[in-house]
Amino acid sequence: MENTPLTGESKTSSPEARKNAHLPGELPGQKPSPEAQNRRPILEIKALNKQFDNFTAVNNVDLTLYEGEIFALLGSSGCGKSTLLRMLAGFEKPTSGSILLDGKELTGIPPYKRPVNMMFQSYALFPYMTVKQNIAFGLKQSKLPSKLIEERVDKMLHLVHMEEYIDRKPYQLSGGQRQRVALARSLAKEPRVLLLDEPMGALDKKLREQMRLELVDIINSVGVTCLMVTHDQEEAMTMADRIAIMDKGDFIQIGGPREIYENPNCRFCAEFIGSVNIFDCHLLSSNAQQSLIKATDFNNLIELSHDIDLADGMPLTIALRPEKVYISHKKPLEETNWCEGVVENIAYLGDISIYYVRLTDGRIVSSTLPNVDRFKEGLPTWDDHVYLSWDPESCIALTF
Amino acid sequence: MQGNKKILRAIIIALALVFLYLPIATLVVYSFNESKMVTIWTEFSLRWYVTLFHNEAIIKAVVISLTIAFFTACASVVIGTLAAFVLVRVTSFRGESAFVLFITAPMVLPEVVTGLALLLLFVTLGEFIPIFADRGMFAIWIAHVTFCASYTTVVIRSRFRELDISIEEAAMDLGAGPIKVFFAIILPAIMPAEVAAFLLSFTMSMDDLVIASFVAGPESTTLPMLIFSSVRRGLSPEINALASIIVLIVSVCTFFAWLSMVRKQRRVASDLAKAKKEALLEKRKLLRGANRA
Amino acid sequence: MSTGFSSNMTFIRRSFQRQNKVIKEAKHDNTWRDYALIFVPYLWMILFFLLPFLIIFKISLSVTEIAIPPYSPLVTFEEGAMQIILHLENYTSIFTDPDGTYIRSYLKSLQVAGLSTIFCLLIGFPIAWALATAKPALRNVMFMLIIMPSWTSLVVRIYAWMTIMKKDGLINDCLMALGIIDSPIQMLQTDFAVYVGIVYCYLPYMVLPLFSSLMKVDYSLIEAAYDLGCRPVKTFFNTLIPQTKSGIVAGSMLVFIPALGEYVIPELLGGKSSILIGRILWQEFFNNRDWPLASAVAITMLMILVIPIILFYKVERREQEKINAGK
Repeated sequence: MENTPLTGESKTSSPEARKNAHLPGELPGQKPSPEAQNRRPILEIKALNKQFDNFTAVNNVDLTLYEGEIFALLGSSGCGKSTLLRMLAGFEKPTSGSILLDGKELTGIPPYKRPVNMMFQSYALFPYMTVKQNIAFGLKQSKLPSKLIEERVDKMLHLVHMEEYIDRKPYQLSGGQRQRVALARSLAKEPRVLLLDEPMGALDKKLREQMRLELVDIINSVGVTCLMVTHDQEEAMTMADRIAIMDKGDFIQIGGPREIYENPNCRFCAEFIGSVNIFDCHLLSSNAQQSLIKATDFNNLIELSHDIDLADGMPLTIALRPEKVYISHKKPLEETNWCEGVVENIAYLGDISIYYVRLTDGRIVSSTLPNVDRFKEGLPTWDDHVYLSWDPESCIALTF
Repeated sequence: MQGNKKILRAIIIALALVFLYLPIATLVVYSFNESKMVTIWTEFSLRWYVTLFHNEAIIKAVVISLTIAFFTACASVVIGTLAAFVLVRVTSFRGESAFVLFITAPMVLPEVVTGLALLLLFVTLGEFIPIFADRGMFAIWIAHVTFCASYTTVVIRSRFRELDISIEEAAMDLGAGPIKVFFAIILPAIMPAEVAAFLLSFTMSMDDLVIASFVAGPESTTLPMLIFSSVRRGLSPEINALASIIVLIVSVCTFFAWLSMVRKQRRVASDLAKAKKEALLEKRKLLRGANRA
Repeated sequence: MSTGFSSNMTFIRRSFQRQNKVIKEAKHDNTWRDYALIFVPYLWMILFFLLPFLIIFKISLSVTEIAIPPYSPLVTFEEGAMQIILHLENYTSIFTDPDGTYIRSYLKSLQVAGLSTIFCLLIGFPIAWALATAKPALRNVMFMLIIMPSWTSLVVRIYAWMTIMKKDGLINDCLMALGIIDSPIQMLQTDFAVYVGIVYCYLPYMVLPLFSSLMKVDYSLIEAAYDLGCRPVKTFFNTLIPQTKSGIVAGSMLVFIPALGEYVIPELLGGKSSILIGRILWQEFFNNRDWPLASAVAITMLMILVIPIILFYKVERREQEKINAGK
C-alpha cells in the first residue's frame, strides 16, 4: 500500500525535482562526494606541469585526493595519465608545480624516499627473488628488524591469499598470482598513497573482471588511499570512487562513475564513456520550466524540462544514450522528443540488442533493447519503419 | 620435400664440421707423435708434452698472457658495464654520438692500425709519463682493454636493453637507492652477459698477436707472440702439444658452458609447464566454485 | 591590513622560490651522477682511442730520422719562432712509388678481402640455413660446435692448416692415395692458402649474423610464394634474400673489414704474391723502421675502410631501430 504513492511520486515528480536529480554528487546510487563526507585531504596536486621538449604531457592540473578513496585517472594512451602517476612516484620530475603529501612537498624527493608505493603494469616482480623476498624487499630497505619483516610478509601473504606460494619465483606463478604478489609488495610498506598503473593491463579478459572487485576488497580492507591509471572505462567505473577523465594533459571532468556517465560536462566526455547518440542542435527558447531545441537531423523538436544557460538561437549538442532511446512501431502521442526511421541493422549481443535506425535524412541513431523475454514476438526487425522516443530527462544538453 | 631437406641439412652440417674440425683434429693427433717430423706418423708418445713443460720460455709466456688476460677481462667488463649503462639508461648527453663511435670503432678497425696507433701513443706519452715508456705488461694491458671494452660494451648493452626498466623503478619505489638498485637488481639480471663478456675479453686478450707485437717491448713476450715466432721458424711438434692443450681447455670450457645453458633452459621450461598446469587447475577450481554459487 | 597582505605575498613568493630551487637541485644532482658514470669510459676512449689516431695522423706528416723517436718533430722552435713543417712525402710516395708496391698491395688486399667475403657468404649461407631450420636441441649443439674453433687461438688454427697443407701433409697424401694427383701440389705460400685461411677463420663471423636474420625470416612468405606459383630458385631470390639482406650486409662487413687489414694469415700461409697491406705496414714499421711511412699507410688504409664501415653502421642502426620499434 505504501509503495504506490512513492512510485507515483517519482513518476510525476515536479520539474524542480527532476532538475535537482542532475546536480553533481547527488545522483542516486552513488557514494557521497569526499567533501560531503568531511574526509581529510591527503594528496594535493597544484598547477602541476610536465613538458617534454615541445610537448606538454601534463598541463597545469590541480587535484586533491582524500583519505581512503580510490581515484582513477581515465584516458586514452598518450593523454598524460601515466606521466602524472610517474611524477607522483618520483620517476619524472615536474617542470613546475607542486605535489603535497600530508602537506609536505614531494617534488625533489627521490622515489626511494617517498612514502608512496606503486604497482606496475607489468608487475615488475624481481625475477631472481622468491615471492617472500619480493614482498620483504621494501621492508628491508627501511631496515626493519627481521622479526617484524617476517610478520609483515606473512600478513601480506594472508591478505592476498598467497600463503602457499611463499617460496616460488615469479616465473612459476600465473598472471593473477603475480598481480597479487605485486599488490602485496606495494602494500607491505604501508604507503600513504598506493599507485596502480593499469592494474589489470596484463591479465586476460575473464580474469580481469574477477580481479577487479577482489582488488577493491583488499584495498578497502587495508584502507589505503589509492590512485589508479587506466584506459579501460569499465575498470575505472567498477573500481573507483571518483574518476578524472584526462585528455591532452588536462582534466576534462572529475566525478563519481555515475555522474560522469549520466552527467558528462562536455561532448568529449559523453563520447568517451559508453556509447552515445550526438545531435547537433540549436536552442529555440528556454525558461525555467522548459527548453525547446531543434535538431538538424529530424523535424520534431526536443523538449527539456529545465532551462539552459544559453542565448536563443545558439548552437548546442544533445547527447542521448542508446539505452534511453525507446524503439516502437507505434507513433508516440506527444509532439516532441521523438523521430522516425527505418531499421538498418540489428546487433544481437545476447543480453541486449542494438538497433541501428536510419533517419529520413540518412543519419544513424542507435537504440538498445534488453532481451528480457526469450521468445518475444513483435519486435522491430530489419527494414521496419520505427519511431524512436525518449524522456525529456534523458537528454544531456552540452554547450562544449 | 621434407625428407630431401633433412638430408641436405645433414650433408651441409657434416661438411661444415669436417672443414672446421679436420685441421684441429690432425693437429691434436700429431701432438702424440714420437717423430720430430710433424707430418709423418711413427708411434704414440707424450714426449712433446714433457719437453713443453720443461720449456721455461713457454711457461713464462703463458704466465704473462694469463695475467694480462685476467686483468684485461676485469677492467674491460667494468668499463663495458659503465659504458652500457650510460648508453642505455642515460637518455642523452652532449657528445653521445662521438661516444658511440669511440666505443664501437675498435671492433671494425684493422688490428695493425690499432696496434700502430697505440704504440705511437705510448711512445709519445712515454716522454712525459715513464710508465708508458716501459712498454711492458702494463702497456699491453691498456691496449687490450681498449679493444676488448668495445666488445664487452656491445655484449652487456644488448642484455641491458632487454631489461624491464620498471623492475628498477619498482626497487627504487620500494626504497632502494641508485647504488642498491644497481647491485641488488641490475647486476644479477645482467650477470650472464657479464660472464660472457669476461670470457670473451679473456680469450681475445689470450689470442691477440698483432696489437701485442706492436705494443710490447722485448721483455714481455705473450704466448701468441711466442707461438708465432716459432711457427715462422718452421713446424715443431712442441707447438702441436701446446695447441692441443689450448684446444682441450677451450673445448672443456665450451662444454660446461653449453651444459649449464641446457640445464637452465630445461629447468625454466619444466617450471613453466608446472606453473601453467597449476594455473589451469586453479581456473577449473574457480569455475567449479562459480557454478556452485 | 597592509602588513598582513605583504607578508602573505612574501610567503607565497618564498614558497615559490623554494619549490623552484628544489626542482633544480634534484635535476642537477642527477646529471652530476650521470656525468660521473660517463666520465670513466669516455676518458678511457679519448685517451687510448682518439688520441692515438691524432698522433698517428701527426706522425704520418713527418719524415723518418735517426733519433728517438725515429721521426722528425712537427713543431720546432728556431730562434724563438715556432715552425710547423708538414711533410706530405709519405703520402706522395705511396702513390708514386716506382714499383707500385703500395698501390698493388692495396688492390691485392681489396681483391683478397672481397673474394674471401664472397666465399664466406657462399659457404656460410647454407650452414646458417641448416642451423636456423634445425630442431632447437640440435641447433644449440651445432651452434656451439661452429663457434668453438674461433675461441681457440688464431695462430694455432693457422698452424693447423700449415701442417695439413704441407707438401707431405694430409691433403696431398689423401689426394695422392686417391690417385687424383701424381705429385704433391704446392699449396702453402700461395694465394689459395690465404683464401682458405681467411675463410676458415672468419666463417663464424659470417654465419652468426646470417643465422640471426634467418631465424627472423617469415617462412610463410616462402610458402605464399610457392602457393602463388613461384619456382624454388626464384622464390629464394625473391623472398629469402630480401629478408636476410641486413644479415648478409652485416656478415660481409664483419669479414671484409678485418680481412682487409689481415696480417697473420697472409704472413704464415701466403707467398711472395700475397703481399697485403697489413704486411706492408708491418714491414715498414718493424723491418724498415720507417714510422712516418707506416703511419701514412695506416691512414690510407682507414680512408679505404671508411665506406664499408659507414655501410656497416647504417645497417646496424637500422636493425637497432627495428628492435626499438618492435618494443
